[in-house]
Amino acid sequence: MNLHSTRFGEIEVADEQVIQFTHGLPGFPQEKKFAILPGPSDTSFLYLQSAQNADLTFILLDTFAVYPEYAFQLDDAIAQELQLSAENPPVIYNIVTVPEKPEEMTVNLAAPLVINGSKGWGMQVILNDTGYSTRHRIFAAPSEGGR
Amino acid sequence: MLVLARKPGETLVIGDNIIITVVEVRGDSVRLSIDAPREVPVYRGEIHAAIVEANRGAALGGQMPDLKDVKLNQKL
Repeated sequence: MNLHSTRFGEIEVADEQVIQFTHGLPGFPQEKKFAILPGPSDTSFLYLQSAQNADLTFILLDTFAVYPEYAFQLDDAIAQELQLSAENPPVIYNIVTVPEKPEEMTVNLAAPLVINGSKGWGMQVILNDTGYSTRHRIFAAPSEGGR
Repeated sequence: MLVLARKPGETLVIGDNIIITVVEVRGDSVRLSIDAPREVPVYRGEIHAAIVEANRGAALGGQMPDLKDVKLNQKL
C-alpha cells in the first residue's frame, strides 16, 4: 500500500509491514493501522508510522537485539487474541522516547508492542508488576556535552 | 457519574458481561474481583495513565532525531 508520512514522504510499504492494532495504542485509541519501517542501518531502531495520520511516527527499539534477557509473561488471553503460539511466536518492539537532549533517550519496557508478524496483528501490552520502567535509559554513558 | 455503595460480597454488573465483586474492605483499601470478557483489558488506573503519558511523549515532534551514533546501554 501507499502511505503518506510527514517525515518519510510518500512511501510504498509491503503488506507484511502493515500491522493492525485493533485496540489502538493507549493515548491514541483511534490509531489502528501502522507500518513498521526500517530504521537507520546498523542500528537497533525502527519506525512505527501511522497509516491514518501522516504526522504520527514513533521510534521503536528491537528490544531483544539489545536486551536479550528482557522477558515477561504474556497473558493467555492476549496470546489467543493475537493467535500466537510456539510455531508463531510474537515479534516484540518497545517504544522509544527522545526528549530534547537525545542522551536522555528512554525506552518503555513496561508496555511492549506484541506483534503477530504473519497475521499482521499487534497490540501494545501493558505489563503488570514486572518492575520494568516506562522510562528505561538507553544511552550508554553521559555524552561529552552533545554536538 | 454514578456513585454506588456496596458491601463485601456484593457485585456490580456493567453491561451484560462485566461483573465486579467487592471481595474485602480492609483499612483504606478495597479488594475487587473483576470478571470481564478477554477483549476488555483491565488496568490499574495509574499504570494505564503512565503508559498513555509515555506514548504521548514518544510521538515524534518536529525534527527526526539522529539515531545513527547512539551507543546503547546494554544493561537492563
